[in-house]
Amino acid sequence: MDAQERLSRLASYIDRMPSLPPTVTKVLEICNDRATSPVDLNRVISLDPVLMARVLKLINSAYYGLPNKVVSMVRAIIMLGINTVKNLALSTAVLDTLNRKTDLGVLKPVGFWRHSLAVGVTSRLLAKMHGEELSTIDEYFVAGLLHDIGKIPIDRVFAQEYVDVIEYSRERELPLYTAEREFLGFDHADCGRLIVDTWRLPTTILDTVTYHHRPAEYQGPNSTFVYTVHAANYFVNASRIGESGDDHPAALDASARAGLNIDEVKLSELAGVVDAEVQKAENFLKVV
Amino acid sequence: MIKLRFWGVRGSIPSPGAHTVNTGGNTSCIELRYGGADHLIIIDAGTGIRALGEFLVRSASETDTIHASLFLTHTHWDHIMGFPFFAPIYRKGTELDLYGPVTWEDESLKKVIGHQLNYQYFPVHSGELAATLRYHELRQERVELADGMVVHTTYLNHPVLCLGYRFEYHGTTVVTAFDTEPFRNLFPTDPSQAGFDPDIAAEGARAAHEENARLLSFYQNADLLIHDAQYTREEHQRTRMGWGHSSFEDAIENGLASSAARLLLFHHDPERRDDAFEEILSRCRSLAAKRNMQVDIATEGLVIELPDAQ
Repeated sequence: MDAQERLSRLASYIDRMPSLPPTVTKVLEICNDRATSPVDLNRVISLDPVLMARVLKLINSAYYGLPNKVVSMVRAIIMLGINTVKNLALSTAVLDTLNRKTDLGVLKPVGFWRHSLAVGVTSRLLAKMHGEELSTIDEYFVAGLLHDIGKIPIDRVFAQEYVDVIEYSRERELPLYTAEREFLGFDHADCGRLIVDTWRLPTTILDTVTYHHRPAEYQGPNSTFVYTVHAANYFVNASRIGESGDDHPAALDASARAGLNIDEVKLSELAGVVDAEVQKAENFLKVV
Repeated sequence: MIKLRFWGVRGSIPSPGAHTVNTGGNTSCIELRYGGADHLIIIDAGTGIRALGEFLVRSASETDTIHASLFLTHTHWDHIMGFPFFAPIYRKGTELDLYGPVTWEDESLKKVIGHQLNYQYFPVHSGELAATLRYHELRQERVELADGMVVHTTYLNHPVLCLGYRFEYHGTTVVTAFDTEPFRNLFPTDPSQAGFDPDIAAEGARAAHEENARLLSFYQNADLLIHDAQYTREEHQRTRMGWGHSSFEDAIENGLASSAARLLLFHHDPERRDDAFEEILSRCRSLAAKRNMQVDIATEGLVIELPDAQ
C-alpha cells in the first residue's frame, strides 16, 4: 500500500474517530446533569483533543455561517448556549460508547491523553510568558491540545504497522515523525493536517498541527503559534509527561528558540505548573 | 413605504381572556407590506396568523394568487403553532416561501414545520396542502426579495437557533429582535466562587461584550425596532435568567444604544395583564425621553406605517 492509499483510508476513518477514554465517562456524567455548569462543560471539552476538535468543527461549519472562526470553548458556550454545546459533546461521547473500541492501538490512551493535555497547558503558559494578547491565549491551548491528533487515526487504522514504526524509532533513536515518514510515506502531522483541513478548523490550528515538527520551514502569519507548540511539545517530551510514542524527539529548534526568546532552562521552569495542571485534570476526570 | 400590522404579540402560549383583551392574547405574527405592488412578508406563524390567513383569503378573489414570504424567527412552538390554521395553505393559487433557521440536529425546516401537519396532531397531512410551499433555510446572511427589499439575518441569544431580521426597503429599516436575551458571561467572575479562573472570566466577559456589540450593530439606526420585552428586569433577574428573553429595560437600553427612532415592546409574557402595561409604558417612556426615542407597547391590531426615506 502506498502513502496515498494509506492516507485515503485514514480520511475515511476520520469522522468515526473516538474521544479519548479518560474523558468519555465524565462527559456523560456532566452532560446528563440537568443543571450542567458552564465551568464543568468547558473543562471537560477542553480536556479532550477529539471532542474539542469535533465541537469546533461544528461551530465553524457552514451550518452556523459565523463570520469569524471560533477557537475558544468559553466563547462558544456563551455564543451558542450551554444546551447546544452540551448536546454536541453528549452526542460525540454517546457515539463513542456505542462504538466502544476506544482503546488506542499501540499508544496508551491515558498516557497519550496526558501528553496532549500537557502540551496544551504548556502552550498556554508560553503564550502568556511571551506576552501574547489575552484573547488568543485559549487558542494557544487548543493548538497545543490538538497538535498530535493525527496519531489517533494512524494508531487505529494501521495499528500493527504503527507498532513497527514506534519500535523502529526506538531502535534507531529517531524522532517518531522521521520513522513514520520512512515506514508509511507520511507522518502524523500530515494526517493531522488532513483532519484539521477536512473539519475546516481555524488556520492557527492547521499550521501548528502541520508544522510542529518542522517550525523552520513554516512561512506564514502564525509562526508564534507554530514555535510555541513546537517548544511545548519538546518540553513535554523531554520532561516525560505522558506518552507520545516519541522516545527520541528532535531538539528544540533554533527558529522557535529565537522566535520566542526561550531556551531549555526557561522551559524547565514550567515543570511544576504543568504537572499541577495535569494533576488537577486527572482529579477532575478521576483518571486512575 | 413599509406598513406593518400586528396579528399576534404574545409570547410562550396564547393567553385569551378578559385580562388580555386590550393587548391581545395571540402569539407572534406580524404582517409587513411594502412597495407599490403591495408585497407581503409575514414574520412568524404564531396563533395570530390564523386571523391574518382568513383576512387574506377573504380579500382575494378565487383566481387571485396569494404570494407571501413567511420569515420564521425560530421554530419554538409559540412561533409556528398557527401554521396549520393559516387558510391560504389549503388554497390552490397560494405561493408561500418559508424562511427560517434550523437546529444543528440536521432536521430540515420542512420537517420541523411539516411535523405539525401529521394525523397525530392535526386532521390534515402536509402532503394534502393545495398551496405551493418553498422552504429556504437561513443562516447569518443576506436575502434579496422582489422590488429591492433586502433582509439581513443574525443569530440572537435564545436556547435554540433564533434569527433576528433586518428589513431594508428604500432607506427604511425595520428590525426584529425576538426571542432574545442579552449575552452574559456565564463563568464565575468572583475569586471566591468555585471554578473561578481569571483567564476564563476575562474571556467570558470579552465574548459577552462582543456578542452584545454585534447585535447592537445589527440593530443600528432602525426606524422601527421590535424587541423582546417579556419580563420586567426584576422578574428576569429573579427566576428567568437563561430563558432567552429580555426585560423592558434591556429593550430600552438596546433601542437607545442602537439609535432606534422607534421601539416597540413585543412578545409579552402570558401572565402580563392589560392593566400592568400602563405603568410599564410610562416607566419605559421616561427612560427613553432624554433621547427622543418613541416607545410603544405592541398590541394586536396595531398598524404602523413607515414612509420611504429615499
